[in-house]
Amino acid sequence: MNRQDDLRAFFSHSVEENMDALYGVALRLTRNSADAEDLVAESVGKAWFALDTLVDRTRFRSWIFRILRNCFISARRKKSVRPSEFHYDELFRDDGDGDLASLLVEQPEEFLTWWANPERTVFNDILGEQIMSAIDDLPQSFRTTVLLINVEGLTYDEAADVLGVPAGTVRSRMKRGRTLLQKALWQHAMDAGLNVTDNPDECRT
Amino acid sequence: MTSATDKTEPAEIGCLEAIEALYAYLDGEVNDPQALARIEHHLGHCRSCFSRTEMERALTAQLRKSAKSRAPAALQARLRSIMDKF
Ligand SMILES: [Zn+2]
Repeated sequence: MNRQDDLRAFFSHSVEENMDALYGVALRLTRNSADAEDLVAESVGKAWFALDTLVDRTRFRSWIFRILRNCFISARRKKSVRPSEFHYDELFRDDGDGDLASLLVEQPEEFLTWWANPERTVFNDILGEQIMSAIDDLPQSFRTTVLLINVEGLTYDEAADVLGVPAGTVRSRMKRGRTLLQKALWQHAMDAGLNVTDNPDECRT
Repeated sequence: MTSATDKTEPAEIGCLEAIEALYAYLDGEVNDPQALARIEHHLGHCRSCFSRTEMERALTAQLRKSAKSRAPAALQARLRSIMDKF
């Protein structure tokens, strides 16, 4: 096999392996499937011609995610989406670490236990919808970070590459995003009048 | 002998510190064995943090189930045709 064939085989194999992840990440960034498909196609094209910048083949995934991110930023600039519609700067901003004490959202242990109960499967579909709506309500930088890591399975380093922020920022976004998510789900449960305590006296009236 | 305790019991941490590290822990991002031992020791002894951890695990599993995306067939075909031209 000559060098060009070897490169081609490596490249197409790596792309095949990462198609779902690439699409998933693109979908998280663009938030619509047509743009996500265009973004992946453009990134794969660009990646092929930039293949000599990939120093370590085992880092293919992070490398192509970074290309995808750059394509995303330049596509957004070209489209000049109104700031009110899409705060893409927010995605790449450093959020600092925030106030630790404010991360501690007090929820009754009963709620946590109820939520984690594996026998509660009948509610799973409803909960799935609730989670998605709670996720959609998160500030964009937190939402994207949580989805990249918890749904698309990126490591903190990979997410940092995609978002162009330090790994420490990814870490603090995860904490804050997940804490906000929990708070929202707790609020949902309260609003729905869910009795998660098994104690009728504690029902909201 | 002060060093005798080094290997038996990990240093005690509080709830704040445990929750501070909880997400990195659940995401497999805590690589320091001592830090790992401290978190697990706390979770083994604190009912509240244990419940929270279980809740977070269930939430992640549900999130993955609800939101996981697959590359549409049209995109797969498109990528293959792009790569065929290389
Ligand atoms: Zn605790």
